[in-house]
Amino acid sequence: MRSRRLAEEGNVLICALCTILIISLIGANVLRNCTTRYNVSSSQVRSWKESLFAAEAGGDIGYAEVRKTVLDPPHAFTGWDNSGAKHVSPVTTFGANNLITSTVVDLFYNDPAGNPWYRSRSRGTAPVLGMARTGMDDRMGAGVRGDSLLRKIDFKTDHFLATYGPNGDGAGQALVPVTNPQITRRIEQISAPITPFEAAIKAAGTFYGLGSAAYIDSYRSSAGPYDPNVRNNPTDPRYVDSQSGTVEINSSVATVQGSIYGNLYTNGGTVTKKTASVSGVIDNNVPFSLNPLEMPSTATWNYVPTPTAVTGNTVIDPPVVGGVPQPGTASSPNYYLISYFVNNGNLTVNPAVINGTPKDTYVVLSVTGDIGNSTSSQPTINVPAYVHLKIYFTGNFQTKAENIVNTSGYSGNLQLYAISPTDPSLQQTINLNSGGGSNAGFSAVFYAPSANFTINGAPDITGAIVCKNFYANGNVHWHYDRRLDSEGAAIDYRIASYVEDIR
Amino acid sequence: MNLKISRKRFAFTLPEITLALAVSGVVFGATLTSSTSLQKSFNALDSYFGTHMQQIRIVDYLSRDVKRGLIVTTSADLQTVTITIPNYIIQAGDPEALVNPTLVGTPRTPTMAYTPSGWQVNYGNTTSTVVYSISGMSILRTENGTVTTIASSTDQLVPQTTDVELTNTEYAKTSITFQPIFTSGGAQASRSGTIVYSTAYLRNKRRG
Repeated sequence: MRSRRLAEEGNVLICALCTILIISLIGANVLRNCTTRYNVSSSQVRSWKESLFAAEAGGDIGYAEVRKTVLDPPHAFTGWDNSGAKHVSPVTTFGANNLITSTVVDLFYNDPAGNPWYRSRSRGTAPVLGMARTGMDDRMGAGVRGDSLLRKIDFKTDHFLATYGPNGDGAGQALVPVTNPQITRRIEQISAPITPFEAAIKAAGTFYGLGSAAYIDSYRSSAGPYDPNVRNNPTDPRYVDSQSGTVEINSSVATVQGSIYGNLYTNGGTVTKKTASVSGVIDNNVPFSLNPLEMPSTATWNYVPTPTAVTGNTVIDPPVVGGVPQPGTASSPNYYLISYFVNNGNLTVNPAVINGTPKDTYVVLSVTGDIGNSTSSQPTINVPAYVHLKIYFTGNFQTKAENIVNTSGYSGNLQLYAISPTDPSLQQTINLNSGGGSNAGFSAVFYAPSANFTINGAPDITGAIVCKNFYANGNVHWHYDRRLDSEGAAIDYRIASYVEDIR
Repeated sequence: MNLKISRKRFAFTLPEITLALAVSGVVFGATLTSSTSLQKSFNALDSYFGTHMQQIRIVDYLSRDVKRGLIVTTSADLQTVTITIPNYIIQAGDPEALVNPTLVGTPRTPTMAYTPSGWQVNYGNTTSTVVYSISGMSILRTENGTVTTIASSTDQLVPQTTDVELTNTEYAKTSITFQPIFTSGGAQASRSGTIVYSTAYLRNKRRG
């Protein structure tokens, strides 16, 4: 009897073991499969995405430093390894998952306006947690890889350094082991300067104007002289350039009169096609900000000691070195410090003439105080052909419109910059009067982010204005030159290009 | 005698065997059915998650290319996506490579061009074209003629991409579904329940 019971117990045990084995095999298979899925979805996919977040964070860090070159020059690239035009960031570790990023920024191009363009190459690394296994290649069939073509995981060594070198140019290849599995992604961004004159009128505060019969249109001086008939003739090949007389107002307080052959943007306004004559887009939700203007760095400029003031008739001729007049360049202009500009001063800047041929001549004046300080003031500025004049002034500006004489044929050749007062209680002003009913105008651009800008009368204006509050009560004819959208000193930067090095 | 008698008594009777066979049959039948069901469930689950991973892969491929793209165009049936991307890496046969063959495989320094719509950053004189398309049960990525199968499944993966153009940018909205093995009477929800959405914006200013 005992032996029979033993045999029966053994049979049950074998059955139980077999059952456990089968269930365990199924369980193990399920577990292995789930773990693989989890490993891919939770670890590898996540790390792949996070490494891009890290790289883009590095790009943002580099972009912030690039912006400082305009907005806060003394602190640009502070704490970075700076060597000439190349800046290398410290390595930053951040986030709960210990993401790592670093960026190299280099100045690689100066545009015709003399503004630098920066290229930033950022790398972001995210650790790959979980099992050090490749992903879903088995799903793709023999000889066809899936995930590993997309998500390049460094399990043992950094494949990019080993194959392409640290700069990706094939130089300096090295087999560098990684501490833990990781994914690294690399992006390249180009920071392009934002120039001040991208619209005909840009007002950070309130806006009133122009007259009821006024209009703002545009043209492109590089495509031919201004023609008042183009804006109403869609068959004209230059028509496309005539509809960019854009007005941007960072306020809901705007009284818009006249015709705008371009777009109109406000910040919270209620302008509609029924309340204003606007040929382009009306968008009442376009906020923007203007930063106070500081005197830019003069490090690369060619300082010329005289003259030091504009009194009476003052003529500035280019400095002569070795018997040759020096015209300067956009990035290294001739630079003069003017301690005062008398109310009725008459300034003329002449081009360099070499062997009887006038040359493009670049001049910058830094004026301390006002250029005209009362309605009786009539300072005059003369800019002949071949002269590119920029005037920075710290006070107010007051004159008659016809006293701004720019005969160079391009409004961008006379640029006036109002340095923002350091005392915020001081209100800077720029007043232009036609005077005596004259509708003679001027050709120039103003960048005055802290100044109230007033135009009385109905001058004919070619150019652009950036100001705080804007007021004009006359039937002004305003022509924005589209060539201006790349003119002037950079006031900020924007990302103009984005590529990823997917190797 | 007793021993013989005892051995004979230990044998199974016909009813016992019949009953044992019936019980065994039920047990093994249940085991077989359960195993088959488990296997089917496992297979369906495996297929579901495996295909889901492929959905993610398609989305990630598309997002990567859209982000660095200059132009995105979708076909009328929303199942073919064409993306124009910069030529960041110098390839054999490029003008730079003809002048200096050692530049092959190196990043290209961009050039700036002033156009009627403003400044433009260019990597070389030409661009690359990436096309996402469906071929049978496979999702293909074709870059300048080179075909890569990025997903392959018998689960009828169907990506659909919509290209939305804005003033200066555009974005691509992608949804991907597949037909799971287990369905509820062929209900539409069986497919729509597997949908994965993705939206990717161009990082560059739109050129087309």
